[in-house]
Amino acid sequence: MWGRVRGWGGLAGGLCRLGAPGSGREAAGVARLEGRACSKIQKLFSTSSVLSTEEDKSAASKDSTTEVASKSQESTAETPKQKLLDIIGNMKVEVSYRKKLQQLKTREIKKQATNKLEGLDSEGTMLQRTTEDIQRGKPLNPELVEAASAVASSLPLNKKQTESELLAQLRRHEETTDKQKKEGISNIRNVISEMAVKRQSSAQRGVRISNRISVDLDEDGQIIKPGRSSRQSFESRRSLKVGRRLNIFTKASTETEKALKTVSSPTIWDLEFAKEIAAITAQPPRNGFEEMIQWTKEGILWEFPIDNEAGMEDDAEFHEHIFLEKHLEGFPKQGPIRHFMELVICGLSKNPYLSVKQKIEHIEWFQKYFEEKKEFLQEI
Amino acid sequence: PCPGQARSYYVDWRMLRDVKRRKLAYEYADERLRINAIRKNTILPKELQEVADKEIAALPRDSCPVRIRNRCVLTSRPRGVRRRWRLSRIVFRHFADHAQMSGIQRAMW
Repeated sequence: MWGRVRGWGGLAGGLCRLGAPGSGREAAGVARLEGRACSKIQKLFSTSSVLSTEEDKSAASKDSTTEVASKSQESTAETPKQKLLDIIGNMKVEVSYRKKLQQLKTREIKKQATNKLEGLDSEGTMLQRTTEDIQRGKPLNPELVEAASAVASSLPLNKKQTESELLAQLRRHEETTDKQKKEGISNIRNVISEMAVKRQSSAQRGVRISNRISVDLDEDGQIIKPGRSSRQSFESRRSLKVGRRLNIFTKASTETEKALKTVSSPTIWDLEFAKEIAAITAQPPRNGFEEMIQWTKEGILWEFPIDNEAGMEDDAEFHEHIFLEKHLEGFPKQGPIRHFMELVICGLSKNPYLSVKQKIEHIEWFQKYFEEKKEFLQEI
Repeated sequence: PCPGQARSYYVDWRMLRDVKRRKLAYEYADERLRINAIRKNTILPKELQEVADKEIAALPRDSCPVRIRNRCVLTSRPRGVRRRWRLSRIVFRHFADHAQMSGIQRAMW
């Protein structure tokens, strides 16, 4: 199953990569328009990272492609109701951008399902929403718009609707990316507060799901309700952003500083007390495992898997081990002593068991020794 | 309350002396190595080597590694000690028969 998904995803991904990055969004539109749902989608949504914009884009395109794949396979088996229930049941908590994507996609999926089977009741509401989206500020990249129109024209279904949906999706995406770019780190608090809000809402998810399920069963003009509830959540998000401040760090930090200042140097009695407590709490080991743990802590037992370089921290590079001639500056340049020292250095450079420090100590000892014997040597 | 034997003394004085020799040998190992490097040499002048001879003879007698004897760790037996286990043959056999030596089995072929 997963293998097939990947294959499909690869093909769709290949198609995506041919065009501009916006073409990934087209594939998303295509996927949605096919109107097939799958529970695996939600798992794909939940895996990717949050705050970086480009990662979101690429991740979203990947998700959409896998969405295509999974949808194309499981459509025939499930009824639309089951699909919708699966989607709702598997929806997970994400940050604002992901949540908006999900909601949009689920809305559109529902719409497509209903469109396929029965009348076109949802179209009116979708168009309303898309017009709202269109009225929002920034104009889209003309290339993306062209690409969207091309995709829409290539598809067999309702072209105007697909185009409008795609453009709405693009616009929303650009909005969120611009937001994130501008606001940056200072917005993390708001993001966190938003996330907190969503966790609360997910706790009440059961209630909402049941509401939605009851709504969907009617299938006639009741679809405005989920839109309403999502609008309410948007509004609540905005109102929370305005009012709330997480004054955690400022106050607590001052308190901890004060607490630290009061502790002075511990007296002998305190040390004795601490030792007593340690002696009492250190019970003899109950079994062999605890004994081994104790021994490892003391250093009696090695740590497994055995590290051959345990206790040996040689941070020196190889050239410090081998090129030891620079330490030979204190010696005369001619004569038997120089010859002897060069042999010593040759031997040390080939020794892997000594650290650089030890090697330097050897050389320095020889230097001292020969200096002491200088007068004696000159007699010879 | 603790399993196994609690030994706070060395088995006998000879073991103690051996312990002292090992400690001193460890301390003087570097010096002995360097002085010997001067002695066992064909490049340096002979007078220097003679001086080095005298110096090394002046070091404490227990600092030479030749005086260390690998005794049995448990009984201090100087002979019949297996180096891998640091035990005399008698102790080794005792433990092996009681299945307290890991990986040791009675040989039969």
